[in-house]
Amino acid sequence: MTTVMEVNGIASGYGEVQILWNVSLKLEKGKLTSLVGSNGVGKTTLLKTIMGLVKPWQGNVVFHGKDITGLAPHTKASQGLVLVPEGRQLFTDMSVYENLEMGAFSKRSKANFHQNLEKVYDMFPRLKERASQKTGTLSGGEQQMVAVARGLMSEPDVLMIDELSLGLAPFLVLDLFEILRRLRKEGLTMLLVEQNVQMALAVSDYAYVVADGRVEIEGPSNEVAANAKVREAYLGI
Amino acid sequence: MDHLVASLADGLLLGFVYGLAAMGLTIIFGVMDVVNLAHGPLIALGMFGILLLAGASGAGLHPYVALIVVAFIGLAFGFIIYFIAVHRILEAPHLSSLLSTFSINMMIIGVGTAVFTTSPQNVEFSLGSVQIGSVTLLGTRLVAALIALSVTGLLYLFLYRTPPGKAIRAVANNRAAAELMGIPATQTLALSFGIGSMLAMLSGGLIATFFSFNILSGGIYELKSFVIVVLGGLGNPTGALLGGLILGAIEGIVPTFMPVSWVPVIEFLLFVIIMVVRPSGLLGER
Ligand SMILES: Nc1ncnc2c1ncn2[C@@H]1O[C@H](COP(=O)(O)OP(=O)(O)OP(=O)(O)O)[C@@H](O)[C@H]1O
Ligand SMILES: [Mg+2]
Repeated sequence: MTTVMEVNGIASGYGEVQILWNVSLKLEKGKLTSLVGSNGVGKTTLLKTIMGLVKPWQGNVVFHGKDITGLAPHTKASQGLVLVPEGRQLFTDMSVYENLEMGAFSKRSKANFHQNLEKVYDMFPRLKERASQKTGTLSGGEQQMVAVARGLMSEPDVLMIDELSLGLAPFLVLDLFEILRRLRKEGLTMLLVEQNVQMALAVSDYAYVVADGRVEIEGPSNEVAANAKVREAYLGI
Repeated sequence: MDHLVASLADGLLLGFVYGLAAMGLTIIFGVMDVVNLAHGPLIALGMFGILLLAGASGAGLHPYVALIVVAFIGLAFGFIIYFIAVHRILEAPHLSSLLSTFSINMMIIGVGTAVFTTSPQNVEFSLGSVQIGSVTLLGTRLVAALIALSVTGLLYLFLYRTPPGKAIRAVANNRAAAELMGIPATQTLALSFGIGSMLAMLSGGLIATFFSFNILSGGIYELKSFVIVVLGGLGNPTGALLGGLILGAIEGIVPTFMPVSWVPVIEFLLFVIIMVVRPSGLLGER
């Protein structure tokens, strides 16, 4: 098994307030890894720190064997480390098509633009119909589709998704998880941050449970799902 | 009546150029939320650019060729101003960017006054005039309006059809998301500031082909740009063009039945009315 990305002993926070303590994780090639935990434990902060939107206080991020900790977020993205951020963060004044174009801004993804466009339109036929619509006027579900599709347009080597299911209708959540399964089958390496712990554990290969800014439990997802502590605290069983 | 039509036409032609200047201000505000108080001096530098390159004792270029050079100088000045005075205070409260661009304003005016003095200058240049019916239009103003209109068209093509143009719109819309998509936000912001400065200097250059000026003249056009930008809606280039035409029309018509000194009064009255009635501007959303 090859490790595509490694996060080693990350500590970070905002101003004086420390949020993360010595967080380490590994993403294996072609695997879907999930990161679960309650509200406010620092999941989003971890993803932002990995991308460099928040500066790490300690630790490093190794991507394809190289230390990329200090690189600017746009450089990381153009090397294939892509984040679908929490709250979607779309270009709401631009059309769906333009959002997808912006996803393919870097050189590596521009070359296969049309191929990738067809692929995401096939995954989300809805977006093809809405291609020229201003993204800000789409429904929440459609916006989440644009967010994922825009990330995929970057041709990521690692796709990190922050809160895929938040605020969406149950049938849509099922659809999106189906897409995740399909991407996993195609061999995409993913890190999924989810509040829907049950679904995240069901779909992923490996899981990390974060509590209070530290990794509390980690292991193959089925083992984590069987863990008594996890069952009590997160699955309500 | 003929006189009124002629004044209106004259004013509208000027309005295109005002619109161009205002677009420079509005694009910078739209992309990075910075009110560029060095806008006026940049307009004045555009005027002096034409004087030095195409004036009687200048480098001997044709004024419209000089304009192209001025455009590139404007772009370069914009980059420099961005990295010196704007980049580091982007996240700071608005007052910081007002103060830092105002400092640039003072520096340009200070150096400009020392070098050029404040005595009036003009570029000896004429294209004769065009007679349409009973209306006579000054050639230089007609060409200036056409150039302003073309530059506006090119700006739109750039913003809506080219990757760097779309990147500017993406950064304006959501800077962090743009970074996450691989768009270098800092370079894109510098480019936006460069384009804003370029538009300011271009409008100054065009004005220099028919009005006399000194290093302080930019101030008047900066104020006009503010009125226009508020009229049209902050951050909206189409609104800037519309606002420019409205202001130009006012300037054309008002002096036909009131003393010229009433023009700024009426303009700022309009400014206040828009602020009260429709603070988002004529074309602004919300
Ligand atoms: N920009 C910020 N400035 C200061 N504190 C912040 C900032 N962003 C987040 N925090 C704090 O950091 C902590 C962790 O937040 P974070 O968003 O990483 O949690 P999360 O695990 O993603 O939560 P959720 O499941 O609700 O999305 C919270 O206490 C939050 O208040
Ligand atoms: Mg979060």
